[in-house]
Amino acid sequence: MKLLLALLFLFAQTSALALSASGKSDNVTATLLSDTEKVTPGKPFTVAVRLAMAPHWHTYWQNPGDSGLATTITWDLPPGFKAGPIQWPAPRRLPLGTPPNQLVNFGYEGEALLLTELMPPAEFGGNADIKAKVEWLECMDVCIPGAATLGLTLPQGAVQSTNATSAIQSARAALPQAWRGASYAMQDAATAQLALRPDEQTAQSLSAAKRIDFFPFEEGKIESNAPQKLERFDQGLTLTLARAKQPVGDYTKLHGLVVAANAQGQPVWSAEVSAPWQAQPAPPLGRLLSSHVQRDGTGVAVASPSSAPLGLLAALGLAFVGGLILNLMPCVFPVLSLKVLSFAQLGAGAQARAHGLVFAAGIVLSFLALAGVLVALRAGGHEIGWGFQLQSPAVIVGLAALFFLLALNLAGVFEFAFGVVNAGGETASLRSAFGNGVLAVVAASPCTAPFMGAALGYAITQSIGEALAVFAALGFGMALPYVLLAWFPGWAARLPRPGAWMVRFKQFLSFPLLATVVWLTWVLGVQVGVDGVAWLLLGLTALGVAAWAWGISQISVLKKSIWRGFSAIANGMALWMGFLAYATPESSVDKPLAASRPENALWQVYSASRVEELVAAGKPVFIDFTAAWCVSCQVNKKAVLGTRATEAAFAAKNVTLMRADWTKRDPEIARAINALGRSGVPVYVLYRPNQAPLLLPELLTSGIVQDALKTLP
Amino acid sequence: MRPLSTVLGLLLAPALASAVTVGQPAPDFTLTGVDGKPAKLSDYKGKHVVLEWVNPGCPYVRKHYDSKNMQGLQKDAAGKEVVWLAVNSTNPTHSDYLKPADMGAWMSKSGGAPKATLMDPDGKVGKLYSAKTTPQMYIVDPKGQLVYNGAIDDKRSANPDDVKTSKNFVKLALAETLAGKAVSTAATTPYGCSVKY
Repeated sequence: MKLLLALLFLFAQTSALALSASGKSDNVTATLLSDTEKVTPGKPFTVAVRLAMAPHWHTYWQNPGDSGLATTITWDLPPGFKAGPIQWPAPRRLPLGTPPNQLVNFGYEGEALLLTELMPPAEFGGNADIKAKVEWLECMDVCIPGAATLGLTLPQGAVQSTNATSAIQSARAALPQAWRGASYAMQDAATAQLALRPDEQTAQSLSAAKRIDFFPFEEGKIESNAPQKLERFDQGLTLTLARAKQPVGDYTKLHGLVVAANAQGQPVWSAEVSAPWQAQPAPPLGRLLSSHVQRDGTGVAVASPSSAPLGLLAALGLAFVGGLILNLMPCVFPVLSLKVLSFAQLGAGAQARAHGLVFAAGIVLSFLALAGVLVALRAGGHEIGWGFQLQSPAVIVGLAALFFLLALNLAGVFEFAFGVVNAGGETASLRSAFGNGVLAVVAASPCTAPFMGAALGYAITQSIGEALAVFAALGFGMALPYVLLAWFPGWAARLPRPGAWMVRFKQFLSFPLLATVVWLTWVLGVQVGVDGVAWLLLGLTALGVAAWAWGISQISVLKKSIWRGFSAIANGMALWMGFLAYATPESSVDKPLAASRPENALWQVYSASRVEELVAAGKPVFIDFTAAWCVSCQVNKKAVLGTRATEAAFAAKNVTLMRADWTKRDPEIARAINALGRSGVPVYVLYRPNQAPLLLPELLTSGIVQDALKTLP
Repeated sequence: MRPLSTVLGLLLAPALASAVTVGQPAPDFTLTGVDGKPAKLSDYKGKHVVLEWVNPGCPYVRKHYDSKNMQGLQKDAAGKEVVWLAVNSTNPTHSDYLKPADMGAWMSKSGGAPKATLMDPDGKVGKLYSAKTTPQMYIVDPKGQLVYNGAIDDKRSANPDDVKTSKNFVKLALAETLAGKAVSTAATTPYGCSVKY
């Protein structure tokens, strides 16, 4: 060995060849390399032990995982020299066997450079003899301990690069970085979760990765062989790990490497994370990252709304403003006009104030009830969002019947004895005010106002309390104008005086409601086909007869009961036909919804995998998340997306256009909407190659679309 | 959604954790010995039981047999009425697999003195205990509770010379539990070859 070293030394003196000394076991060749040919006293330099492994053989990382043993280096250095710790490169998961019998080790295949920094003293005599005793365990399906004693002799002198310098430099460059961003760890009885919120640069490294794994420095904390479930959020990612069945030592923090790997499992990026355990009970991680789950595992960044993360306060504010604007939406306007009328009637005073408050309570409580149903259904595993009510044909039929009855009522066919919308009359009861509030919310559900989308998207992913708070804010926003109106008689005084005009106005308002019925009928047509529509219209006719008969019974002095009976029979028929309307077999619409409607050939049917393919191929994609029952969607579609100018602008940038039709319940679309941080339609998103996806506002103008397209290369 | 899963996790936890955790009952099993005789863990209730995962093809197992470390522990245990069961969970398709007769011959040739050497060719018991390495050691107390799970000692090498200078966790735990004391180091990370499931 000495002779060899001496020869190598002589050789090194005359050439720039790597200073190295090798040792071999059956399957591993270990070589000692230095990044400098000469050692300068007091100046640190780096040496590397290179382990070159035969195919299929591996050696281990500092935590070997389920079995195995970390490689050790024992240094024998000249007096005064100090060796640092091994700087471990990022490991990879090395599975043995197949699940459920699988064990997973952490280590290296192919080649690994274990770097160590050596610090020479300020002065030393003669050459530096560096010796390293390297011990490793080499394993395939069997394990063999291996060892080698390696040596280098380096003369004193100015630092001078060797053949190994660049290899050592690139190994150093590939070493795990310090984590940039926030990290959290939490645990319940069986799992541990690592949540990472990366900074922008880190987020890019992570988004390109095919897989991301956590490698703990400490043993006995998590099960090495358990799959690590990766979930991507718009603000970061979580890895769900299995806690060690037999933990060793205390859980104080989750400390280890986050390693991003390519499709072959080769680490491409890594960082050291040390996340203290959060106090029990674990807060929902969604609060830390906003809970927009993306599909497991794949690296394509599907969701990254450019906006900052929405906090509770911001969500409450947006919901409030959204509620205000909701009043102006076409579906709400007729119902609320009635309310304004009743104020005109009541004038100022305590009665008006009580009325305003009860009306507000009706609105807020209805929103809370809806939120409760939404949260409960989601907790039950349903992938739904705002507007879910309208995905059910039964609800559409019910709404059509309700609006039809209201229209008949306003037209004067009959009066509600219990006064749901009893706008006229001086005895407008508080019950009616409450009923009006409920009705306003029911009518409002198809109209997701601008600002509401983001707030509701935030709300439904939060704890129940926060979700309810956001929905309540929405209700307060919607109710506010009426409460103010009730409170400030000065404002109410500006309303026209009650009079005969009110009866005519009331009658006139029946027509917008009938238009709403037409629209609901169309939605039902999209959902269940033309047979269902026929049954609905028959049912509405029967309902009309029932209302007419009831109206007669209300004014006739004689034979009241006969008219009532007639009304009840017609009503029963209406119910039966209404049932047939939504229970009609769907055979007539087994084609995909979007395809069943005559669509512009420019638009393709949405497919998540197709989006991924296109984005991966560097092509821009625009997606219109829409539904027949969504009024703003239809407006945007007709007024902006369907125009020649917009279509030409899309074509000029070669954008693939896709339409995701959410008229009926669709978990895939619901997931995609959630991933974008929203809860309901409309959602417009532009996927741009090498850029974060761009989320467009809920009310489009052609200018907005054109501006978005300008960001494309 | 998270709080719900947390609640579920807590409910399921005892079932999940009971498998191999110290302080929990050791799961019962029946295996056939190299002599063809069945052995059942619960038959030894009232006695201390040591479970040793073994595979003669593993250099770490050989470290403790070549140095007579394991045999010493086995004999020591036998003298204290401790039941020692060596379990081989090697899959018959693996090159390390030994037929029951060969396994028995190896054990007696190396001077081992377990109460029984048990074959677990389908790995059922190994997985039941989440045994990951050979050697991996478990100690069950007379009440059937697991009181130790982990490595044989603290010198994680394949070098037989290290046995002398190592701290033997099994020896310490056994002494403590036999004296009626709580085991001070009850869980360690086992080291060695992977169990060849």
